[in-house]
Amino acid sequence: MNRHVARELRRQLRESGAAGLVAVLMVTATTALGGTLWAVRQWVRTQLLAADRPAAVVATLRDPASSAELAAQLGRRFPGLRVETRSRAAVRDELASWFPEFGATIQALEEASFPALLEVTVSPSAIDDIAAWLRVRPEVVLVQSSKAWQERVSVVLSRVFAAGFTFALGLLAGCGVVVLLVIRLLVLDHTDEIVIMRLIGAHEAAIRLPYLFCGAVLGIAGGFLGVGLLVLVSVLLRPLLPGTAMQPGFLAVLPVLGGGVGGVGAALGLAALPDEP
Amino acid sequence: MILLEDVTKSYRSRPALRGVSAYVERGEFVFLTGPSGAGKSTYLRLLYRADLADSGHIEVNGRDLARLRRREVAEFRRTLGIVFQDFKLLRRRTVAENITFALSLLNVSEKEQQRRAYLALKQMGLQNRTTALPDELSGGEQQRVAIARALVLQPDLVLADEPTGNLDPERSTELMELFRAINYQGTTVVVATHDRTLIEAHPARTLTLERGQLVRDGWGLSP
Repeated sequence: MNRHVARELRRQLRESGAAGLVAVLMVTATTALGGTLWAVRQWVRTQLLAADRPAAVVATLRDPASSAELAAQLGRRFPGLRVETRSRAAVRDELASWFPEFGATIQALEEASFPALLEVTVSPSAIDDIAAWLRVRPEVVLVQSSKAWQERVSVVLSRVFAAGFTFALGLLAGCGVVVLLVIRLLVLDHTDEIVIMRLIGAHEAAIRLPYLFCGAVLGIAGGFLGVGLLVLVSVLLRPLLPGTAMQPGFLAVLPVLGGGVGGVGAALGLAALPDEP
Repeated sequence: MILLEDVTKSYRSRPALRGVSAYVERGEFVFLTGPSGAGKSTYLRLLYRADLADSGHIEVNGRDLARLRRREVAEFRRTLGIVFQDFKLLRRRTVAENITFALSLLNVSEKEQQRRAYLALKQMGLQNRTTALPDELSGGEQQRVAIARALVLQPDLVLADEPTGNLDPERSTELMELFRAINYQGTTVVVATHDRTLIEAHPARTLTLERGQLVRDGWGLSP
């Protein structure tokens, strides 16, 4: 960057004023939002929906008396499993502990109102075979597996993240538009200067680069502020979502992204440049 | 230095120049005159390549202007000093910045910019107004700043379009003397003006345009 471009860049940044600040803050908010979504998505994938996470199959039994026999058969068919049986009373107690406000009401219900359960902890690779084996057993009314639950959660979260990232992308496009407008305003405000610059022999690069760099710098500044905000968010999220530490490489992407969006917005804003001379 | 051969230029089918041919030697001082709408400004715009001729051939300093690429146009304009009736100064920059701005395009060091700007302004008698904004100057001072800006790049050719249009007679005379001084140093000067008294007071070769045609090429004004 030569002296002229550097000097003009400082000037354009100063003159971008409040509009430039809005662009910076928009990029900040967008990159922080996108970064937060990405971090939560990573946590969901690596923690909540991890493929190696211990899996479980729960079967609702028709008759509590069959639980021991069924557990024994399951152990013979799939050796090494950890099988637990839960009586109707145990299920009632657990349910009451989940909903303490209704604890007394739940405890007042008849024991026969609750099913006896068979809970099997399995490796993720064996879960489908065990669930299929249990489903065809006459003693079993209903079979639920953690895999099916994870798949449902995965579908729902995929849609939530898709909507979130679409929103963030929309905001990013909005940032580009704001930078475009800022640069357009600057160009329109300097139309006379640009004409004079051309008349005294300025190359197009000398005219355009300060505006392009101005847009990129606004985006980069927003990206850096977004990184700061994201770090703050991650500190706040850590107690809720352990393992959501931000990777330095990922954080480095945000200013680059902001700069790219700012640069593209500025390039489009330069369409307002006056024609020759 | 300047060669025009059968040059024609129209704007929206309205002819501005019709079959104009002329040759200006290096180091000459030439007036370009004629009534308003005669084509003086068009003539100059073609010379500094703000417009391209519809037909004909234009050469300035040995360069065929029709063949210049965009980048070459910028380089070419650095060999010119252009002075306008409305000065075309950068309103938000000081007098000194108006001069150094032109130099900064050439990537001249800050120190050298300051030195050359000071010398150019001193030549124009404006060395004490370096920090003033253009709007704080009189018309004559503004025009001298514009000339300083034109000269700081040490051009081969100065083109002035109605440079005295906004000045009183005394300032106009001063300005013409300035152009004369520049010309004595070897710079070719072309001044477009419709002010007959100016030409009478400073006789020189005069090209007279009327309705886009060159009707006279001679010394001073026709009797």
